[in-house]
Amino acid sequence: MALPPPLRTSVTPAELELIACEQLVDIIPLVAMERTAFISGAYGPLRPPAKCKVPIWMATNLKLKKKCHIVPPDWLNVDFLQDRLTRETSQPEFSELPFRFAEVAKVILDVASDDISNPEKVRSLLQDIREARQAKSRDGVSKLDHSELSLPNLCAMEINEIRPFFVRSMGVLTQLVRQPDPGRMDQME
Amino acid sequence: MVYLPPPHLASETRPSYGETYARILATHRRSPTTSASSVIILVAPDVDALCAAQMLAELFKQDDVMYRIIPVSGHAELEHMKDELATYSDLHTLILLNMGSILELPSPDWFGDFDPRLTVHVIDSSRPQNLPNLFGGGENGERIIVWDDGGAEHLQEERKAWEALTYEPEPDSDEDESDFGSEEDEESPEEDEDEEAYEGGSPSGRKRRSLGEGDSSRKRRRLERRSARMSRELRAEYSARIGKHYMSGTWHGQSASGTIYILATVLERVDNDLLWLAILGLTYDYSTSRISRDDYDKYHSIYYDEVARLNPPPPASAAADYDFKPQNPDDTSVYASDELRFTMFRHWNLYDAMYHSYYVASKLGIWKERGKKRLTGLLAKMGFSIPETQQPYSHMAKDLKLSLRHKLDQIAPEYGLVELSYPSFTRCYGYRSLPLSAADAVEAVSALLDVAGGVRMEIEVEGARNGGEWFGGGHVWNGGRQGRRRDEERENIPPGGAASVVKTSNALATIDGKEDGDGAELQWWVKNFWTAFDALNDIVRLREALPLSMALHRAIMRQGSSIIDKHDIRTLRGHRVVVLSQGPDLALFAHPGVLSRLALWLVEALRDRLQGTQVAFSRSKRKSLPLVLACMNEKEGTYIVVGVMGALDFGDVRKNEFGLAFLDARERCNARTRHGSFDTSVLEIQKDDLKVFLETLCERH
Repeated sequence: MALPPPLRTSVTPAELELIACEQLVDIIPLVAMERTAFISGAYGPLRPPAKCKVPIWMATNLKLKKKCHIVPPDWLNVDFLQDRLTRETSQPEFSELPFRFAEVAKVILDVASDDISNPEKVRSLLQDIREARQAKSRDGVSKLDHSELSLPNLCAMEINEIRPFFVRSMGVLTQLVRQPDPGRMDQME
Repeated sequence: MVYLPPPHLASETRPSYGETYARILATHRRSPTTSASSVIILVAPDVDALCAAQMLAELFKQDDVMYRIIPVSGHAELEHMKDELATYSDLHTLILLNMGSILELPSPDWFGDFDPRLTVHVIDSSRPQNLPNLFGGGENGERIIVWDDGGAEHLQEERKAWEALTYEPEPDSDEDESDFGSEEDEESPEEDEDEEAYEGGSPSGRKRRSLGEGDSSRKRRRLERRSARMSRELRAEYSARIGKHYMSGTWHGQSASGTIYILATVLERVDNDLLWLAILGLTYDYSTSRISRDDYDKYHSIYYDEVARLNPPPPASAAADYDFKPQNPDDTSVYASDELRFTMFRHWNLYDAMYHSYYVASKLGIWKERGKKRLTGLLAKMGFSIPETQQPYSHMAKDLKLSLRHKLDQIAPEYGLVELSYPSFTRCYGYRSLPLSAADAVEAVSALLDVAGGVRMEIEVEGARNGGEWFGGGHVWNGGRQGRRRDEERENIPPGGAASVVKTSNALATIDGKEDGDGAELQWWVKNFWTAFDALNDIVRLREALPLSMALHRAIMRQGSSIIDKHDIRTLRGHRVVVLSQGPDLALFAHPGVLSRLALWLVEALRDRLQGTQVAFSRSKRKSLPLVLACMNEKEGTYIVVGVMGALDFGDVRKNEFGLAFLDARERCNARTRHGSFDTSVLEIQKDDLKVFLETLCERH
């Protein structure tokens, strides 16, 4: 993949998605399975129609084979996202969202959009939220200060986006602060 | 039992589709030598088999079964494929789609000599079915599993006859028949039930599955007594019954995709995609006159319920204007709609759609000037002016579209067009494309199968008529995106190998139809198959293929009208013969698929104009419209001959007896022929033998 130079050393979104898929999600299985051991842990048993918690990667796999229905997490619905969107647009701080909401939402919308009610509205709300937060991070980046290190409620994808620039610019800023301009010191004398 | 009853007839002792499918899965999972060639699906080249293959592939994918799909064009190729399959050591399941029903599969010619672990599943819509396939028992016979649709239940008489003839020895001539005749009658009713449960133990001593020694010895004695007395009359009666079964002509039962859909229902894994493919299979069967209107209605009502079950009900506005709009960007639902019999009328203008539809063409006599005037007259009466009808449908005025159906119902009966619409289905594709109806999708896929490559097809660009924008009427169809891909291959020519690569790519460049020999011939056919297969679920490719289908219709129309105009139809003792030896589209009609379409067109066109006749070799006394169409293949110096038995009433089908008639005639006149496809009513014959062949065809025997 040809990435621009700043992003070549950081994590790609696809990798973030993979990491996010370790999270557990509720499913309603359609087939029965015993408690099975996988590398990351033991999951199951699957007893339809009782719900069960499995990692997202397993839920995706089963869903693609039509062997389960995914129960969307409680933040993936129109009301919650609408509320968050209004908060984003009214307040200058980032509103609180699950840390890996973008990746999880993408995976579930791709695979199981029929398990979510009103998926188009959810998609458009997610798009709006992303744009609002992106505008805020752009403003924030222009106000970078060498001592400003707290960025509350930033989510995994956003952190990944800013990370290369942020790290380098913080490095440069700290250097500038530690060594004030020699020219000025001469002037002051 | 080696035929599977459909699930509604299944019971504990008679496994049905679901259990057999589970068996395939179990064999796949348990066998240590499972590889990608363990499950092989052989597919015949028609839309129904294609849909069935896609559905089966989907089910296998969901169950993590590795499979391979191999297209097979005809009996000859099937034999070839069989020899190749004999070398696969890890093959344990073979599935034949729309082929093999008539072949005697347990015999050593076919799969009799294969590994006993191999099971052969036959999912075929063509009938009659070969009796050894259905009823042959034993280790050999039980490997052949025929997925039946309930029709075999009615073959109990044939079954009895076949078993009697196969397992009983020749009767002795010096038996006292009359004495034992009455005893035999008394015994036979109770023997019937025994025979069903007891498939063997005949005195000929074949290896059989035995059902218990005690019972068998008693029954064997009774059977021996009975067999020794089987009279000549009884044998003759049995032979006659079997003969009737095979020789009453070919017809079609439930479509293969319908069978797989029932399987999916049993497994509770149906969804809209599978339902849509099943609908396509059914529509194909109906539009190519393989099943009658009554059968179509029967299956249609099943699918109608399924559509209602799986899809949200269409919005109320849709019912009024028949133009379904997708409700949201991801709407891929299927709606029931009424389909007008105008071929693809939503994709070209109204005049053309009516002009090229079989039904309208025949009723109005379109090939003559008078007929064309009648058509314009009909349109004028409905309130459409000529420029309006020449507009592509999507640009037609909205109020005209809304009133179209209404006006048609009012005015069309005056011209004799009564059954203009039939119930069918439409599928929405969200915001990616306009909804596509089942009939149009079938047209597109079958056009891809027939002529996507191998023949030069010129298609019309919309709006380019009468001079149009760019003064060009059309361009050569180059397979949409696929054609562009071919150019990329030229980039990868290794240095020095340029000449040979160019030559190969020329050989493969099927756009110009310059095939050089059988190698390239097979290539284009297989490519067409995969093009059509890919297009089944891809709306973009289907839409690209619609102009191709329109070009095909135009060619058929041209040829058909010229045939009728020139009065090229000769009547030879009861059936009509047409021989095509010249014309602009000869290369196009040298393909059996296209030729069959032309034959169907002619039958439809002539239905009301010619009287029904009784054919010389026909066994039934009903009148029908038999038609034999022969087209010259200049390159190979052969004629492709297609025989179609048209029914007198619209919507009815007759059993096609040409398959047997052809074989018969060939025997009698020693013509050099070859069967190119699975349809026994299509064959290829050497140029010089044609005349003799046609004459022997109609001699009474």
